[in-house]
Amino acid sequence: MKRWRSGWLRWAAVLFVTTGLLAPFLANDVPLVARIGGTWRFPAVADCFGVPTAGPGDLSWKQWWSRLSPDGDDFAWMPPWPYGPQETDPERRAAPPSWSHPLGNDDTGRDVLARIVHGAGTAVRIGGAAVLLAGAVGTLLGLLAGRRRGVVDFLVLRLLEVFLCFPSLLFVLFATAFFGTSSGALVLVLASLLWTGFTRVVRGELLSLRERDFVLVARGLGVGEWRLVLRHLLPQLRSQIGVTAAFAFAAAVIAESTLTFLGLGPQAPSSWGAMLQQGKQMAPLGAWHLWLFPALAIVLVVGGCHTIADRLRNRPA
Amino acid sequence: MTRWLLLRLLWALVTLFGITVVTFVVLDRAPVDRAELEAEARAQNGALTDLASRDAAILRLRVNYGLVDPTTLAPLPVWRRYANWLDNALALRFAGPGEDPAAFWRRLGRALPVTLLLGSLALLVAFGLGVPLGAWAGTRAGSRGDRLLSHGTFVLAGVPEFLLATLLLLAFGGAWLQWLPSSGLHSRDAAAWPWWQRQLDLAWHLVLPVAVLATGPLVMVARFVRDAVARAAAAPFAANLAALGLEPAVVRRRLLRNGLAPVATLVGVLLPVLVGGSVLVERVFALDGLGQLAFAAVQQQDQAMVMAIVVLMAVVTLLAMVLSDLLHAVFDPRVRLAR
Repeated sequence: MKRWRSGWLRWAAVLFVTTGLLAPFLANDVPLVARIGGTWRFPAVADCFGVPTAGPGDLSWKQWWSRLSPDGDDFAWMPPWPYGPQETDPERRAAPPSWSHPLGNDDTGRDVLARIVHGAGTAVRIGGAAVLLAGAVGTLLGLLAGRRRGVVDFLVLRLLEVFLCFPSLLFVLFATAFFGTSSGALVLVLASLLWTGFTRVVRGELLSLRERDFVLVARGLGVGEWRLVLRHLLPQLRSQIGVTAAFAFAAAVIAESTLTFLGLGPQAPSSWGAMLQQGKQMAPLGAWHLWLFPALAIVLVVGGCHTIADRLRNRPA
Repeated sequence: MTRWLLLRLLWALVTLFGITVVTFVVLDRAPVDRAELEAEARAQNGALTDLASRDAAILRLRVNYGLVDPTTLAPLPVWRRYANWLDNALALRFAGPGEDPAAFWRRLGRALPVTLLLGSLALLVAFGLGVPLGAWAGTRAGSRGDRLLSHGTFVLAGVPEFLLATLLLLAFGGAWLQWLPSSGLHSRDAAAWPWWQRQLDLAWHLVLPVAVLATGPLVMVARFVRDAVARAAAAPFAANLAALGLEPAVVRRRLLRNGLAPVATLVGVLLPVLVGGSVLVERVFALDGLGQLAFAAVQQQDQAMVMAIVVLMAVVTLLAMVLSDLLHAVFDPRVRLAR
């Protein structure tokens, strides 16, 4: 654990997760705080919950903001990157990177940087939720199975085998088609595939740890069964579970972007897979920035997860 | 041995049963069923304009597809429909009720060879390149070549299949270089060509899809072989052989024999990866294989077809897993097939 905690990789991971979680506050075309005629409004907070707020009067927030006079009573605090993922600019269709838009604009004139930031939000929310759910369920099942050989262990193993033989992409494909396209459904489907890794690791490690002398000592001192598992055995599995979680997160990000690449899955406002699909279609027209940046984002996140897993694994618990 | 095999096959059957149950229950969660989709398609073609005739048509279709009880017209519970499906499937009647079995099998039969060709070529490439590469790196563990290979496989492992497909397509299939065809298996007027030219054309079309499909397994095989051989090289017997004064080439050969035995177990792990990959590859390169068929069946809520494809793929995967355990025991005399 120590080696990755102190490395630059940790800061990269923290940066990625915070960027993703705070995406609506970092890149948006509505103000964080606005004061109109003495009343305070918080459009970006509402946007965070998926509730679009209408701008003041007939104007959009952006138009209102650009006409704001500095010495008036009204006031607005825009996000650091004042472009929204859905904000179109007809003047800048498929414009290449420039000083005002460092990653360029897509074919409807949306800012690519804002879309990448919001795509990170989609990846963090869906991947994170799926990994947390899968980790909780998988670890619990692994503990139940590895605690002692018996009926529970046998049943969990059979269930594991069923899910391991599943062609996972096919399963995700039809499950999203049949469950509907909400992101909650996708999280459930991903979690139902990812739990197997956690269960396998926890069960296997528990089976070998159980034979060690300190377990015998603890038992002899009268430590109860569940206390033994939770306080003495589970903490030793931390780095193994961390490795599994890193791989699972990478797999979840890949699955989510694959689905949106194929035009399926949740209709999130921006996703790297959907951006790549768009970039693929625009590439023959010379718009290289539309495929390069989402591709880089995916490779960096997946590669980063694999590196974290690698470092955790090379370190004995 | 026979007893082990029988038990393994029995458990594979139980697993197969579990897979069909899970799939059927998930399919049942659909917000709209096939009858509604078909009625809607007909309504868009101008038929079934009023609601009453539309409802009647939906009901007729539901009876036709066995979604409701034909006498009471009440929706059948999921377990009853699963029992019906299982009853039919045990007699190998995979086509749904109200469907032409011959047409059903013809659709499957046309798609299967494409996927088999893709999958077997990808396996061939993965093992044909991965085993020598891994063995080469494993016998030189720690050298510059070994590190180069491990960095290379690490980068490749971080590139998802759909991204690799897009990059290769953009590079060689159109946007940059127009070297390779970007979709389909045959050129437009290939039917009139002589036999050998058609084969060349097919191979030409297969380069990109097989490259995408083989990359994931190739990385897995190369890493696995490298680690196994490196572990054998670090074992005491390797130092022993060297101390006996055997030539390095002879020592290497013995290491390989030892390190390569567990490779057979990889087949079972690779098949689900290949199956998942073929869905994507067939979709991106527009190849009419099982993956495309499954994709279309999912979009039309064609439960019978999805179930047939899932069963087919699960049977192949399960058999491959049993086979790879058997092969492992054959290659490595230390492995005993217990019980």
